Amino acid sequence: MTYNESVTVHDSMGLHARPAGQIVKLVRESGLEVQIAKQDGQVASGLSALRMMAMKVRSGDTIEVRVETDDTSAAKSLVAQIQEFLKG
Amino acid sequence: MLEGHGVGLNFAVGTVWRVFRHETLPEWVKSHTTGTDAADEATALRAAISSVASDLDRLAAGADQTSAEIFEALKILLEDEELFGQAQENLLEGWSAAGAFGMAVNTFCELLSGESTLEERVADLQDLSRRVQAKLAGISLTLDLPATGEIILVAEDFSPADTAQFTSAVVGVITIGGGPTSHTSIICRAKGIAAVVAATAASDLQNGQQVLVDPVGDRVVVGGNANQATRAIEFKAGNSEPVITVRANVGNLTDAAAAARTSAQGVGLFRTELLYLNEKLQPSVQRQTTAYAEIFAASPAGPVVVRTIDVASDKPVAFLPLTHETTLAPESLGYRVLQEHREFIQSQLESIETARRQTGREVWVMAPMISSAAEAKDFCDLARSIGDFKVGIMVETPSIASEINRLEGIVDFVSIGTNDLSQYLFSVDRLNPAHGKLLSPWQPKLISTIAQIAKDALAGAIAVGVCGEAASDPLFAIVLAGLGVTSVSASPSQVDSVRDALASVDIETAKMLAARALAANSPESAKAQVLAALED
Repeated sequence: MTYNESVTVHDSMGLHARPAGQIVKLVRESGLEVQIAKQDGQVASGLSALRMMAMKVRSGDTIEVRVETDDTSAAKSLVAQIQEFLKG
Repeated sequence: MLEGHGVGLNFAVGTVWRVFRHETLPEWVKSHTTGTDAADEATALRAAISSVASDLDRLAAGADQTSAEIFEALKILLEDEELFGQAQENLLEGWSAAGAFGMAVNTFCELLSGESTLEERVADLQDLSRRVQAKLAGISLTLDLPATGEIILVAEDFSPADTAQFTSAVVGVITIGGGPTSHTSIICRAKGIAAVVAATAASDLQNGQQVLVDPVGDRVVVGGNANQATRAIEFKAGNSEPVITVRANVGNLTDAAAAARTSAQGVGLFRTELLYLNEKLQPSVQRQTTAYAEIFAASPAGPVVVRTIDVASDKPVAFLPLTHETTLAPESLGYRVLQEHREFIQSQLESIETARRQTGREVWVMAPMISSAAEAKDFCDLARSIGDFKVGIMVETPSIASEINRLEGIVDFVSIGTNDLSQYLFSVDRLNPAHGKLLSPWQPKLISTIAQIAKDALAGAIAVGVCGEAASDPLFAIVLAGLGVTSVSASPSQVDSVRDALASVDIETAKMLAARALAANSPESAKAQVLAALED
């Protein structure tokens, strides 16, 4: 099943290269399938920093993190880390 | 002589060593028609990418922590799976590996374009693209710099991979592009390498020419020698007191403690928003009071000027959201914070008043981004109804700058924020390095605007301070004193230099220097005139 959770981007530069790279590393290590969706309908793989940056997510925007797993606690901790990357 | 933007205070004399990179890569061609050939090209491309990746690993291993993180970030972009996927589609259309990768990078660069925060990543991607293409063509892109001698490197700009290869023979750097905040500037400042960036005429320099790199003079002199270098001025504080008051800018407790170790006479700008950039919820009155009281108690003796929260897109505060309704960069919440979040400003003023009573300090309060006398009156009435403060406003917009005469009887003081004032006077984005020259504090229009503000303020018995970056420049601080400014506020690290400069002159000299700056017709000539007059 898919675990969905919204995350607000507080980093003043939006979802820029640094957090995108951190997300890729995290997703690689987790081995989970993760997608990042913007409210305008764009979706990026959590393994592609370039696709995430190309969505041009800005400070104040809300993104949805979609994790393909039955392990809700693993998904929750992954989302919490992503939130941390986007604190700025 | 070539003009540019100087980085650092050291000069260097050496021999021009030009770095060319662009001409040598082969043209992109369609090389095959079959899927088998496409698979061979894909293998070649993977090999080239992993070879560039190991180059980055090698560079990271020999680099400091900051540079190592940059190389790791570059590797993530290089090995992006969708970038490779896009290249594979191009391979299937018959393009050779170099063209397929180059076009895939171009596709993503287009997607990233138009966003100022991503511009540098576009440059990084193109640099990676060149490296991969060079691997495929068997061309070496290393700089191959000599280990001894005294060379002045000249190029369009330098990437992190380039600067990591600088040898000790590199005594100076000149870039045709770049700006005060580009990677080259940051590295050269950190390594103490003399540099002049954004020197557009440097493309005419020839290998083997002897040049003087003169950052203090913002120039490069062809055939120049050490005797011609502009000296960084050292001010000797001849008088016991500076001609005008010098205070410190602070944003948190650490800054306040650092300021207390300087000669600062109080705090000229306490930026309260810096406490709340990571807060999701509005802080309670109690939490605010504790934070403000700690900072008041730690601050250097003298008044503490507190600015109520200033929210803008480059310093967002989660609990006071921006609406992205303007194209100004950076967008500022400005006075709207008083209309839309009045209860928060009230809670701030109440907390400041309680902290003032607890610590027994003299506290002044001011509002940021005020555009009219009516807005100023609204804030001042509110502040006076809550606490026992001197009350004032920041002058950051051209509209209020020309309305100072209407503030008599409304404000006790004004504080000029030169960073934002420059941005709005010249209609340029202050976060964009390409606009560096228009944002120079030496711009004649900025200097004459400050002069007018000071004159109108004096007539209305209003104290006038300057708390922008410009006040942290010792030479410019003397000019400000001469223009009629009554106090300056500098970052703690600059307070003592600014104070020494202001104690090295009398007010008549400061006025004479200010008159020179006012009479100039360009920022370069304003600075040069003041320097020349000071030497006499």
